[in-house]
This record gives sequence, C-alpha cells and structure tokens, in this order.
Amino acid sequence: MSDRIGWSFRGAVGASIPFLCALLGVIASNLPVSIFGALVPPPMFGLMAIYFWCLVRPDLMPPFAVFVIGVLQDLLGGGPAGVWTLSFVAAYAVVDRERDSFAGLAGIGAILGFAAAMLIAGASAYAIISIYYWRLPPVAPIVVEIAISVVFYIPVALILGVIHRRLVGPLRGDF
Amino acid sequence: MPNGAMRYTRGRGNAQLPLAIVAVLAIVLVLLGKAQSSLFDRARASFTDWTRPALEAVSAPFDKTATWFDGIGDIFVVYQENQRLKQENARLRQWQSAALLLDERLKRYQLLLNAVPDPALNARTARVIGRASHPFLDTMIIDAGKQEGVKPGQAVVDARGMIGRIFLSGERTSWVLLLSDLNSRIPVTVQPGNIQAIMAGDNTPNPTLDTLATTTPLKVGDQVVTSGDGGLIPPGLPVGVLVADGRGFRVALLADAGASQDVRIVDFKLPPEQPPAPSPNDLPASVAGLKPEPPAPPPPEQVLPLQTTQPSAAPAAAGTKPAVPGAAPKPPPKQPDNADNGDTQDQ
Repeated sequence: MSDRIGWSFRGAVGASIPFLCALLGVIASNLPVSIFGALVPPPMFGLMAIYFWCLVRPDLMPPFAVFVIGVLQDLLGGGPAGVWTLSFVAAYAVVDRERDSFAGLAGIGAILGFAAAMLIAGASAYAIISIYYWRLPPVAPIVVEIAISVVFYIPVALILGVIHRRLVGPLRGDF
Repeated sequence: MPNGAMRYTRGRGNAQLPLAIVAVLAIVLVLLGKAQSSLFDRARASFTDWTRPALEAVSAPFDKTATWFDGIGDIFVVYQENQRLKQENARLRQWQSAALLLDERLKRYQLLLNAVPDPALNARTARVIGRASHPFLDTMIIDAGKQEGVKPGQAVVDARGMIGRIFLSGERTSWVLLLSDLNSRIPVTVQPGNIQAIMAGDNTPNPTLDTLATTTPLKVGDQVVTSGDGGLIPPGLPVGVLVADGRGFRVALLADAGASQDVRIVDFKLPPEQPPAPSPNDLPASVAGLKPEPPAPPPPEQVLPLQTTQPSAAPAAAGTKPAVPGAAPKPPPKQPDNADNGDTQDQ
C-alpha cells in the first residue's frame, strides 16, 4: 500500500515536471533584467519546453497546459493579451501533427526542428501583431528573437534531456 | 542530440478536440485583449505589484554586475576621460553663466509682457527594477505607482533626456513604454526651425520621425525636443538628435534606457483654459434672440475696473509695468497677441 502511495506521489511529481519546466522557462524569459543592455531579446524558454515535451512526453504536455503557459508569457511579457498564447498553440498544433517527423530528427536536424517550431510561433506572433495594430512592425526584432532562441535551445535541450531521463521517464507504452 | 532516435506515438483522435478548444480560447483572448485591454493590464499591474520585492532582489545583482563591467572598461581610458571632462566642464561653465543671464532676461521680458508663466513641473524620482526588451515591446518597470502619484501618460526622463511614458501604473509599480517601443508616438519639435513632427518608435534603437510638412529642411544634428502638444508631456524636454537613415531621418535618443537606474517621472498637466469673464457687452441678449433686459446699474466699484481694463492694456504691452497686476484679469486668448506685440517692439 505504502509503495503504491509512494509511487503515485512520485508519478504525480514526475508528471508535473514538464509543465513546471515550461512555467519556469516563461519566468526566466521574462525576468526583467538586462544582461546584454536590452540589445538582445531573451530566448523563448517556454516554447523550448513545450516543443521538447510535446515530442518526448506528449501526454504530459496537453493543449490546455500550452494555453496556460502562453497566457503566463503574455501576462509577464507586457504585450497585447493572447498574442503569444495563440502563437504557442499554433506551433504546438504543427508539432503535434507532425510529431513522428520531428521526433525522428537527431543532431542538427533536432535543432532545425525547433527552429521550424520557433519560426511558426514567431510568424504567428508577427501576423497577429500586424493585424492587432494594423501596420507592419519591423521584421528584424522577431528574426533576432528566433535566432537567439534557436541558439539557446542546444543547452536547454541537453538539460531537459537529463530531466527527462532522471526524473520523468519515458512513456509507459514505450517500454 | 535531444530528440535522438526517440519515437513516440500517441493516438491523435482525442487530442484534436482539446486543441481546437484551446485555439478558440486563444483567439477569444486576443479579441478580448483588444476590446478590453484594461482587464489584462489590471492583472498585469497587480502581478507586478505582488512580485515587486522579488523583482528588486533579482535585478539588484544584475545592475551591480553591469555597473562593474562598465567600470572595467572605463579604467583603461580614465586619463583621457578626465581630460575630456575637464574641457567639457570649462565649456559648460561658460554656458551656465550665459544660461543664467538669458534666464534672468527671459523672466524680465515675461514680467514686462505679462506673459503666462511656464507651468511648474513636479517630478518624482523612482528606481528601475526591471527591463524587458521583446520583439514587439520595449518597456521598463519602476518602483513607483499610484501611491506615489504616478499616472499613465506621465513623461519619464533620466539625466540626459526623455526615456518614455508611463502606460500602466499599479499601486507600487509602473510600466514605462520606452520611446523606441512600437506603440510610442510623441509630438516633438525639431530645432532650429521649430518644425513640428511625430516621433514614432518601431522597436529599433532610433525611432522614426514623421514630419507634418513634407518640405521641411531637416538636417543631421538638429535637436529634437518635446513639443508639449496634447498637454500631457511638458514642452522642451530633450529627446535626441537627428541622424540620417537612407532616405529619411531617425532620432538618436539622448537617454540610455538600458543603463538608467534612477529616473524621474514628470507630473505635468496644463491648467484648463478658463473662458473670458462674460460682460454685458460681450454677451448681448439680443444676439441669442432673447428680449433684452434692462441693465441693472452696477455699483461704482465694480464698474471702474472694467472701464480701465482696455486703456491699460496698451501701456502694459508697450513695456510699462501694470499699475495693479491681476486687478482686472484679461482673457487668456488675448495674451499671445500682447506677447507678440511686445516681442516685436523689443526687437
């Protein structure tokens, strides 16, 4: 009995780790500190976690979790409401649909896979902002945002990989 | 690499419905944010108020580190910097004496012309506790809010010039929309020439300048200051200088929002313009189609100032001090005419 309770507790904690990773990523992205003198935008750590867990443990990163993560990103980021929420959901929808293709990528391909997801999110955000303000904002800032996020995905994915192996574990159906 | 050769599959039949619901919710959120942005802003302000101690704790070491790194670079140029500052100090002393002289002269002219004095500016100093530079947003957070009298629309300046405007104020914190932000639009004046323009941010370091006239002779190095149009931002705040950008001009901002640690929030509000006091001559009842009433004879002490107002205006404009300043208030619209006349006569 106690083993079952202990297993359940560990399971619940493990199941919440992907969501907590994404929340932590959003908070880290929106820490109001200027490391590079505000010249470089902060990477989208939240989307990195969404992309990673959507591939390796899709059962622990459901659409509603993506919605909550996006709302937090909008709330902390200071921009118009819903822009990044809808962008995250758009990226998630594409990755979820093509999961087998994305999950099969390795090495540089895995980075390009995230770059594709980030490109979808960035393009969605750009389109929404353009409609929201009814004018075309400059492209350079969002391109820099995509580039810096892709660069930072490499170390973040390694850390998430360790968390996946040590704390979360694979999907039970894959044993 | 992270994805490795992992292949996970999941039945997608059940996942499509939640995804569609979430997509609809996200679209509703965007529309709701557009229609009722105050809801989201209030939540954001409350959240910032709540996390204020954490923001201060987190930002302090980063600010210290940035200052330390800046100091390292300065060590190698300290001698040249000292020499440059000495020369600049000597030059500024000359300008200071000239400015004091001109200030005294300006006050004397204003007194002679009975001009409307510049409104007093109240400023409050606040500390920057956060900065955020996102693709579509350029903001900073300061540790002063409604409790300190900070209101949306107020200008925020540092020692060098204007940084931005307050766009959201919580109880103890406020968000500043930087001049470089996509949503920033402020009326400015390009000097010399007094050319009116709108400075618009586009999330690049140098905002664009939309002049109101197409054939304005702008040139690189012209000074850009706030014009004060609209009555929210005081006129004359230094903003930047013009720099060339291909076919047009941009504004190189004087203030460095990325390095400012203490800023001042300028509380400025033009007093509402009072209409001129009505008199029986200004408002005859017959103009309005009413039957004129027989005028009641006013007491002599009330009639005298009205009769002496018009004759006394000419000597006041000519430079003589009014006998009783403020005894007979003149309507504000007439004062610029007097000022212009006096200015012309002085020249």
